[in-house]
Amino acid sequence: MIAPAAVMISLFFLMPVILTAIFAMTNMSTATGISGGAWQVTQGAVNRLKTAMPELANGIAEPRFVVDEEGLAALEALKLKAGFTTELRTSHMGEVFPSRREAERVIKALKDRPSTREVKQISDLFNRSVLNTRFETRDELMASLKKLGFTLTPAEQDTVAKATYTGWVWTTENFRIIGNSPDMAQIFLNTAFYVSVTLLLFNVSYALFLAITTHYMPASTASIFRAIWLLPRITPVVIYVLLWKWLTWDSGFISMFVGQFGYPPKNYLLDSAYNAWFFVILINGFIGASMGMLVFSSAIKAIPQTQFHASEVDGASRWQQVRHVILPQLRWPILFVTCYQTLSLLASFNEILLSTRGGPGKATEVWSLAAFHTALNNYTGNLEYGLGAAMALVLVVVGIVLSLIYLRIFRYDTLISKPLIED
Amino acid sequence: MRILLDKFSKSFGSTNIIEDMNLEVGSGEMLALLGPSGCGKSTTLFAVCGIHRPTSGRILFGTRDVTDLPSQERNVGVVFQSYALYPHMTVEENIGFPLMVRRIASADIKKQVADIADLVHIGDLLGRRPAQLSGGQQQRVALARALIRRPDVLLLDEPLANLDAKLRLEMRSEIRRLQKETGITAILVTHDQVEAMSMCDRIAIMKSGEIVQIATPSEMYKDPRTSFVASFLGNPPISFLKGKAQQGAFVLGENGLCLPIAALSGIPDGTTLSLGVRPEHFGTAGGIPVEGKVVFAETQGRENLYDVVLPDGSVLRSIQPVRDDVKPGDSVRWNLDSASTFVFAEDGRRL
Repeated sequence: MIAPAAVMISLFFLMPVILTAIFAMTNMSTATGISGGAWQVTQGAVNRLKTAMPELANGIAEPRFVVDEEGLAALEALKLKAGFTTELRTSHMGEVFPSRREAERVIKALKDRPSTREVKQISDLFNRSVLNTRFETRDELMASLKKLGFTLTPAEQDTVAKATYTGWVWTTENFRIIGNSPDMAQIFLNTAFYVSVTLLLFNVSYALFLAITTHYMPASTASIFRAIWLLPRITPVVIYVLLWKWLTWDSGFISMFVGQFGYPPKNYLLDSAYNAWFFVILINGFIGASMGMLVFSSAIKAIPQTQFHASEVDGASRWQQVRHVILPQLRWPILFVTCYQTLSLLASFNEILLSTRGGPGKATEVWSLAAFHTALNNYTGNLEYGLGAAMALVLVVVGIVLSLIYLRIFRYDTLISKPLIED
Repeated sequence: MRILLDKFSKSFGSTNIIEDMNLEVGSGEMLALLGPSGCGKSTTLFAVCGIHRPTSGRILFGTRDVTDLPSQERNVGVVFQSYALYPHMTVEENIGFPLMVRRIASADIKKQVADIADLVHIGDLLGRRPAQLSGGQQQRVALARALIRRPDVLLLDEPLANLDAKLRLEMRSEIRRLQKETGITAILVTHDQVEAMSMCDRIAIMKSGEIVQIATPSEMYKDPRTSFVASFLGNPPISFLKGKAQQGAFVLGENGLCLPIAALSGIPDGTTLSLGVRPEHFGTAGGIPVEGKVVFAETQGRENLYDVVLPDGSVLRSIQPVRDDVKPGDSVRWNLDSASTFVFAEDGRRL
């Protein structure tokens, strides 16, 4: 019965990761498209070539004029004086002019004396500039360049081809960008701050607090409390975040309330980075705490009742009971919740997206949200799939590394080697 | 230290478990609370150690009223049926736990743990965890933990229920030895009459929240106050015959067996009675011959146990030294020692 499980795992779990890794090694974006590209001497390509081949770059950017059969045929078709064609063919065939001025000087000097308007017309026919022309294959581009009088060595051809290619290519550039960009470093710090604070304060500590306090309550009261704390989890996230927005908007509850004391209304969610973080952590923490609460509550329930009785008659106070009886036996659920919630906080950004959108500025932009913005949704419109995938891949690696560290800290090996709760 | 329950009542919600119970356990005495499950014996024990608060009444240790004290302040040691050892702690930490929560210096704890561990013979297991111990060893750890802070009172809640037969015998005498050595006042809750009889100075036998009789084991065996007490003590158990009083004798069925019994003088004729006959009082000794048919025979090594059906269908049990001449299906004529039988009224009262 391994086969179905293996198929499911590879299809739905391994494949996405592998595809992400593959995309991460490309520079795919809206500009390159995700299928093959073409060769085009854009201004950008010229700029790229300027350092390696300044001469070619300058030349390529200018229009070039070549007297060739193609141009002559077109000239004949214009039905101007036949002398133009004949003279150009006999005396100027194959000549290359680096600028329109030089080409037009020769045309103007033709024996049949073309008018200024005709000179313009004729010179246009011989304009062989490659700037912004799209070539479907590399060879077409090279042939054009050759026709224009650029003789290139194979190495130079490679450089030109690379600079002018508009499709995606395999590259490790994404990781260099991630590693070097100060923006990325800031987003990384944001993420570390957000994950660790939410995890420690809410998903673990607050959840533990709720589980332990409800454990000491009468069963009916406890279930009411647990139900209340489950509300953030079961409310659709859009509505849940909307409630927070109502609370914090400049016409919202907080503004109305402090308005009674003479404070001007403001958007508490987005007016400063501190406030934004405060609310982002609360919004996520209240959702996250409920899961830990449920896991810890059931783990405490699994501790035999007599252990609590025994510790009471042994003289342990409530706090000593928590410290010496409950907490040591929650090691496994705490590991699970820490691990699970770390990964969940690292990967989920919907609450942030819905509340602050990473703002104000990029103050609450976290890694997964940044990856989403980079790859799938941003204002510039150039969606960088490759870079976004690379960012997602970094997230996968960080998640795996953190899980391994947790397993080590909580000494996972000792947890699985023996029965957890003996009875 | 003396334990006194004064008009102790306990109810859970609208269910009254125990009403107006009075019980005194003398200092240094070991008392068994014996009864079938659901009779309120564990509830009583939990009230004594403070896990449950009494609904009304008082609980006194010596002259100190502990009714409203939490269990932390009562200085009781409890051995639970499931031992309730802390699975994440070593044996040493388990035993030392009551001292640790009192913030006693760890060197002292270590020394006291070593002493008590020697007392219960687990000195070499201190580094292990409960999961690595056998049932008997866990039991000893639980005992040591209950005893380490020299409690005023030791409470044992079915401490032997989870042990195998051989270990149960061993721990029975072990617990009794410890109780005597430490001179501690102890209450043992059990549903096993053998345990109660063999370990305790006195037995309080309970039924539906009431103490039916308190006496020493031998008194209670010889002189049960009700048929319930008689049926609860003794292994193999007593058997009962239903009959009527007639001229100072017990008559079984229509013109059946007629047993003259001294206790029956003055009982009006025709009163419905039941006669309790212990297995050892029906067999080779005794004065009144009884005929019947053996339907069941079981050998226990030294003794044989027989069930004999009388002509009217009632069953008498007999225990006799091993003999090979009687098999199921045989008709026998054995003697009944009528002087040692108990006569009970219809409501179970002893006459």
